[in-house]
Amino acid sequence: MTKPLVILEKVQKHFGDFIAVKEINLEINEGEFLAIMGPSGCGKTTTLRMLSGLEEPTIGEVRMNGQVMNKVKPHERDTPLVWQSLALFPFLSVIENVEFGLKMRGVDKLERKKRALEWLEKLDILEFSERDISTLSGGQKQRVALARSLVLEPKILLLDEPLSALDAHLVIRMQAVLVQLQRELGITFVYVTHSQSEAFAMADRVVIMGNGEIAQVGTPKDIYRSPQNKFVAEFVGRNNILTGIVSDVKKTKAKIETGSGVFSVILENNSLKKGEQASFVISADLVHLSTSEPKTDNTVYCKLISEEFVGSMVTLFLEDQNNHEFKVQMQERELSKFELKPGSKIWLSWSLKSTHLLEVN
Amino acid sequence: MNSNRILNIALGAYVVAIFVFVFAPIVFSVVFSFNSQRFPTIPLGSFSTEWYVKILNDPDIWKAALNSLIVSSSTAVIATVLGFCTAYSDFRYNFRFKGPYIALILLPPTIPLIIMALAMLAWLSKLGISGQLWSVVIAHSVLTAPFAMAIIRLRLNQMDPDLESASWNLGGSEWATMRYVIIPFCKPAIISGLCLAAAVSFDEFAVSWFVSGLNKTLPVVILEIVQGNIDPQVNAIGTFVFFTSMTLVILAQIFFVQRQIKSTKS
Amino acid sequence: MLIKKIQKINVYAMTWRLPIIVWQLLFFVGPVIFMIAMSFFLVKNYRMTEAFEFVNWSKMFSKNYFWDSYLHTVTIASVSTVFAMIIAFPASFALAFKASEKLRRWAIFLLIIPFFTSYLVRTFSWFVILSENGVVNALLGYIGFGPYTMLNTNFGTLVGYMTLTLPLVVILQTITMASIDRTLIEAARNLGCKPLATIWRVIIPLSKAGLIVAAIFCFILSFGDFVAPFYLGGSQEPTLPILILDTTKSGQQWPRAAVVAIVMMITLFSVAFIGIALAYRKKAKK
Repeated sequence: MTKPLVILEKVQKHFGDFIAVKEINLEINEGEFLAIMGPSGCGKTTTLRMLSGLEEPTIGEVRMNGQVMNKVKPHERDTPLVWQSLALFPFLSVIENVEFGLKMRGVDKLERKKRALEWLEKLDILEFSERDISTLSGGQKQRVALARSLVLEPKILLLDEPLSALDAHLVIRMQAVLVQLQRELGITFVYVTHSQSEAFAMADRVVIMGNGEIAQVGTPKDIYRSPQNKFVAEFVGRNNILTGIVSDVKKTKAKIETGSGVFSVILENNSLKKGEQASFVISADLVHLSTSEPKTDNTVYCKLISEEFVGSMVTLFLEDQNNHEFKVQMQERELSKFELKPGSKIWLSWSLKSTHLLEVN
Repeated sequence: MNSNRILNIALGAYVVAIFVFVFAPIVFSVVFSFNSQRFPTIPLGSFSTEWYVKILNDPDIWKAALNSLIVSSSTAVIATVLGFCTAYSDFRYNFRFKGPYIALILLPPTIPLIIMALAMLAWLSKLGISGQLWSVVIAHSVLTAPFAMAIIRLRLNQMDPDLESASWNLGGSEWATMRYVIIPFCKPAIISGLCLAAAVSFDEFAVSWFVSGLNKTLPVVILEIVQGNIDPQVNAIGTFVFFTSMTLVILAQIFFVQRQIKSTKS
Repeated sequence: MLIKKIQKINVYAMTWRLPIIVWQLLFFVGPVIFMIAMSFFLVKNYRMTEAFEFVNWSKMFSKNYFWDSYLHTVTIASVSTVFAMIIAFPASFALAFKASEKLRRWAIFLLIIPFFTSYLVRTFSWFVILSENGVVNALLGYIGFGPYTMLNTNFGTLVGYMTLTLPLVVILQTITMASIDRTLIEAARNLGCKPLATIWRVIIPLSKAGLIVAAIFCFILSFGDFVAPFYLGGSQEPTLPILILDTTKSGQQWPRAAVVAIVMMITLFSVAFIGIALAYRKKAKK
């Protein structure tokens, strides 16, 4: 484990009566690609702005390299940000945009130009160096914005939904560019996004935020397979969430009585008591279909409501007799074996080890 | 369908008539300025530059033209500086009494000029600074700052609000950001503001007449010639004044609109 | 909290906020307040002395010519407003609904130009055009009419007022009507509303606020203008601005001029206030 570059300790941000960030404790490591993800209004952008000094924490401390940064003005830090709007200076040429930060730091003209040109080349936009910003395409502007920040050779780069304005095919390409840059430079990227695919595709660690709080921190796999709470399970989607009363507790598993039936759940480090409420999830891609009743535990008889295709993947939306929704995700060619129509009845089942118990909340 | 077409043609003709009414005095003034008749009418007399020769040889007119130039350019600078400061404050900050603050700058043009003239005359006399060119500059700055403010404020509205933060983020202090981001971004509007303020000041006669004393500006000279008799010199001076202000207004528009198109493209 | 705020005066913010406050207090609020104070000063032997007497007010208010002038100014400014609103309307209607976006922009741009060019010279031009043997009478003569006396009449004054106000009124009316949601008008037509009824029942109510603002501006401009009534109206019936002019320029009676100015400002503020309240209230009802 590398040492933390940035530490947020009990950080809160209030805007008048509105509390944008309730209380955050977070360590950001040197050289990691950290994504902060959450629905809009969850406080993720405010958190990023506190890292860059554009907002000062109301309570708590932000430390970088051990130094308290609360009172340090934005222009006195090395925390360049890539903006959602890109915020390129429209009255400057491409190279002048890239030189801007160096100019503000008093770097002399020749040196400035040399370093700017290096970065333009690295990002493959050298040919546009004298162009007006308005003549560039979205992807090219993106690269200018990156070059403008990276030319400062910071230890940390902040990115605020930088890809949200791009076309889908460009997003995939820019993701690769970003990941490669981060690996090459070995600096910390803090990437704010509401897009799961972006966060999971690029980040080493993902922070899920909701209502101004951190809901979970972990690797993409952790978050996908072992959500800690309902908020994360719902936000990540593709999860079947069931809630019920614990009816039996054994050493490694427990039984939970829900509206859809009694199900077994694997116990990891959780301690459950008989009679209390508990929720658990089964990832949609771990649910199996069968036309006849399976001879195992954990089965539900459902009716197909609708299907949704994304590429070769298909997500089925089903309901049991109590109208509780279930989701099943599978390859399209697997599904074709079942010849389902909306209204068809089918059995769902999953193995015990596919279950994941949520922290009670 | 047919009646609809007739209606459209009639409406079109009506619009043209309105424009004829609005521009007739301007056009006639120019035409008469090159006309030999002392009492211009139809049919026109012969082409003549007599009136221009006359005003060019009149040292008082030269003096007044110089005064007008000094007043309008000084006014433009002061009004644009004031307008810029106010527009930026309004754009950047929220503070208590912001409504009255904005009203303070926007109100003067809604007060009849004759009243402003009287109030300015009395107050500047009281302060002992009336009857000078500077008195006119002061009064005109109050009258024209709102125009500069409005046009710069519009420009700031077009600015990506992240632009200022982006500059801080890249290491620019607030002052450096003002110099390298805000002012360059507003430059077209600042030039437009200068032109508009100069144009308004160049034409203004009521306040100038009251407070200028012996340092008459061109409109004041026109006012004094016009009192009582028809003198075609007025058309010649008027034509000059028209073209000066129209050039300024058109320049203002060109600067503002061109940049607008450019920035909406980006 | 408050002490903290005072200690932390933001030099940068104040650099931009203060100039206009200082300037306008000195050269806008100052003059206006001084003018109000001046209305209580005394004039003796052509010299003004600072005092607090109501004599100027009582003198002015007891004069018949002041009230005649007041009535005349309000009347002619109102007539001017009604004329301008009516004359401008068909043109604004055409520009708002029949013209293309580009043409409309051009029209508005052209109409802005007069606003920044010498009103004085334009008035003088009318003086020449409308005179006994001017262009208009010459043209009328060809078809066997006239000559008519147009100068030194209320007609002359109104021509001057129209020169001043029409461009602005057309601009404001056009912008207001152009911003009406077209679908509402189409809906009205679809429901069988006749064209004229559409104007009366849909377009005018929807653009009421903008139209009232245009009318207010028109009234303010006409009410405060001294050039048109002076040069084209011949000032036989002096308007309030001419009264100010006369009292100031001849006789050094600045305090009495101040009384007239204050009465004018109160009138204008009342008109503006009532107008805006009217525009706002009707909107809130809907």
